[in-house]
Amino acid sequence: MGIRQTLDNIEPHFHKGGKYEKFYPLYEAVDTIFYSPPSVAKTTSFVRDGIDLKRIMITVWLCTFPAMFFGMWNAGWQANVAIDAGYASMGGWREAILMTLAGGHDAGSLWSNFVLGATYFLPIYLVTFAIGGFWEVLFAIKRGHEVNEGFFVTSVLFALILPATIPLWQVALGITFGVVIGKEIFGGTGKNFLNPALTGRAFLYFAYPAQISGDAIWVPADGYTGATVLSMAFQDGMGAVTNAFSWWDAFIGFIPGSVGEVSTLAILVGALVLLYTRIASWRIMLGVFLGMVATSTLFNLIGSDTNPMFAMPWYWHFVIGGFAFGMVFMATDPVSASMTTQGRLIFGVLIGVLTVLIRVVNPAFPEGIMLAILFANLFAPLIDHFFVQANIKRRIKRTGVPAEETA
Amino acid sequence: MADVNAKSVLIAPIFQNNPIALQILGICSALAVTTSMSVSLVMALAVIFVTSLSSFFVSLIRNHIPSSIRIIVQMTIIASLVIVVDQILKAYAYEMSKQLSVFVGLIITNCIVMGRAEGFAMSNTPGMSFLDGIGNGLGYGFVLLVVGFFRELLGAGSVFGFTILPTVQDGGWYVPNGLLLLPPSAFFIIGLMIWVMRSIDPGQVEETEFKMKENSKPQEAV
Amino acid sequence: MAQGNNSIKKVLIVAFSLCIVCSVIVSTAAVALRPAQQLNQELDRKTNILNVARLYEPGTDVEEAFRTQITSRVVELETGEYTDEFDPETFDGFEAARDPATGRTLSGDRDIAGLSRVENYATVYLVGDAGDPDQIVLPIRGQGLWGRMMGFLSIEGDGNTIISITYYDHSETPGLGGEVNNPRWQAQWEGKEIYDEEGDLSPAIRLSKSASGENEVDALSGATLTSNGVTNMLQFWLSEEGFGPYLAKFRSGTELEDADNTDTDFEDGEGA
Repeated sequence: MGIRQTLDNIEPHFHKGGKYEKFYPLYEAVDTIFYSPPSVAKTTSFVRDGIDLKRIMITVWLCTFPAMFFGMWNAGWQANVAIDAGYASMGGWREAILMTLAGGHDAGSLWSNFVLGATYFLPIYLVTFAIGGFWEVLFAIKRGHEVNEGFFVTSVLFALILPATIPLWQVALGITFGVVIGKEIFGGTGKNFLNPALTGRAFLYFAYPAQISGDAIWVPADGYTGATVLSMAFQDGMGAVTNAFSWWDAFIGFIPGSVGEVSTLAILVGALVLLYTRIASWRIMLGVFLGMVATSTLFNLIGSDTNPMFAMPWYWHFVIGGFAFGMVFMATDPVSASMTTQGRLIFGVLIGVLTVLIRVVNPAFPEGIMLAILFANLFAPLIDHFFVQANIKRRIKRTGVPAEETA
Repeated sequence: MADVNAKSVLIAPIFQNNPIALQILGICSALAVTTSMSVSLVMALAVIFVTSLSSFFVSLIRNHIPSSIRIIVQMTIIASLVIVVDQILKAYAYEMSKQLSVFVGLIITNCIVMGRAEGFAMSNTPGMSFLDGIGNGLGYGFVLLVVGFFRELLGAGSVFGFTILPTVQDGGWYVPNGLLLLPPSAFFIIGLMIWVMRSIDPGQVEETEFKMKENSKPQEAV
Repeated sequence: MAQGNNSIKKVLIVAFSLCIVCSVIVSTAAVALRPAQQLNQELDRKTNILNVARLYEPGTDVEEAFRTQITSRVVELETGEYTDEFDPETFDGFEAARDPATGRTLSGDRDIAGLSRVENYATVYLVGDAGDPDQIVLPIRGQGLWGRMMGFLSIEGDGNTIISITYYDHSETPGLGGEVNNPRWQAQWEGKEIYDEEGDLSPAIRLSKSASGENEVDALSGATLTSNGVTNMLQFWLSEEGFGPYLAKFRSGTELEDADNTDTDFEDGEGA
């Protein structure tokens, strides 16, 4: 067959002594996307299963698709509605593509909305993929290991948590920071203790706060400013939010926000697949959810005259901002989350609690899930440590002998 | 400590044995004062002044310092020098001292100063100790200036207050990176500096604490 | 190293003599440099005032400019009259607020600027003729996002038109709230008016996301809470709790009695 043959034909060049020896990781990466790797486990000591890291990562990648497609439609729809209301479009090459493919701005047309949204999201994704991939391959070549598939997921997650109007050079900077500082300096995939996509986003958040958390960035129409639901709630209270959007609007995703985070419904579709295939830990998701519900209920009960966020009920916390996206795709990152079963629940609860704490009490950051997950990432090894120690103690009690040192 | 010669004592701490990059001392002030080059420079000068003179004085009376109270004696000397520096800055460089605020006073707690007094000056001649103090101060200042350079250039678009990259706020094109105005960014820059320095001079890399088991890499398993 | 180094006698001698030497050095430095330091602090304050009054250029002789162009007076806030009870050179509003004799505690709903205590007297700086000033510089302070912000506001002699605002001490986020000292933002204040047509003592000036009209200034983008802080402290200091009664005299054109021949009798000025 064509692909296999081509790959086999060029393979010798990448082996030791070949002229492209240095680029073997690149070859290997392409090869294993199409075919299972040559070095599959054959001995009895392995669980034999069709799934490997690459398949897992591709499943996660596919799971983001509902949120991604909905997000593209939403970005276009928000812009078209704003343009209908009299704001100028941003113009430029995006306008040209839209005119060619969809014929004009029409908030009622599914296709026009989708194309407009895609002209914003796809460049972001492409830049993320190209720049992040560059670093990934560079480190792979330099260190002599193969390119890790985790990057597929990192790049799509990173692209999905950015606002549609972000300048592309910031995208490039963010993913560079995320991949290099968040992952590669600790040794690459599997050794990072922070979620690389969130690390990149956090970098942008602190480096260019006006461009990534301001009011004018969520809807790509010239001069249009509209706060996200979260900052609206923070400044004007829950009343203003419920006047502007119904809960179902927020749940399905008719609200402004980062591309991937707007539709809780679409995210939950992805979550179902992740849970069904057991790729994501249900304990983490449950923990995040419970922590959020408990903390927000607590704040509801305490109440506050000056801070309207105290009054936000849990079902609103659930559907606005990046909560659902963070819970499903970010918190469950197998590398940076806790490893122990009970630890995962605690890890999740910690995220849920911190998210609401940051959202409600902190004056400067309306969104909390990103910082909460990064913070919990730092605690994951500690949480694991306690559960592992507890296990060891229990075993000593049961058997009277310490477990054999294995690592 | 027999083979101390003036040149190595003065030069080595700048690159080979840098107090911040290799010994990871004095990080806290390096995070706080490096938002701009000029502040970094003044801080570096203040530290050079304090380190060299404290080492000199400690070394001068090293044969008379009772070992039971030697740390207190060193602290007293360092603290006095720091107060003098602080007073001088307040009198003659008020703008600077306002920006440096408490961090001049906190030179007292800078591990580099204590470390040199205890580690070098207590067992070497005053002249050598003085040079050693200057050398370590220079090493500290070198890191401070590099960090300050990147933070000021990328965070505010200027170097020593002169605009290099005109920022958007002032009508230019450069969008300043706000992260670099916050202290944590110095962590990243110092970290990257250490990475670069150890790549150039692998001798600075610590020994690995453990080694991965063989066969854990796919190439080895095949 | 002699064994004797650790004898009690030696320890005491070393400790004692070291203390003497060090304390002499430190106190000499402190005493000798004090005048220069105080001069610096004064100079800093004066530079800030000249700055907000648009009288400062790099290289200006601050002392000279301050002496020839600016008169400092202490105002009793409640009546809006000058008082000679305090020396304007040494009067410190922040200290005065803490002293029960010269300050008062604000109740929660009136304390919009987050001050908790406020002074009853304040220093104002008059540019030009003290009786009919070209500019009035008022000290303001209040809570920002991260902490207290201290600044000056300069107003034209009509007691209504703003010239400039500056903050000399604040801890707002660099690049966001810290932009309060960006000259481009400060320039927007020029010509804005504090009070609206109604003529009462409640100030109308505020920061707004889409500023329009004479009473609104563009909010700092991305720094809602700092902007709210600035609005609140202006609303407070220009209201009847603050400089409202004082500025009202300029607005109505009432001549304040000239500095030099005012005695402690305030009642005269009130009726005029």
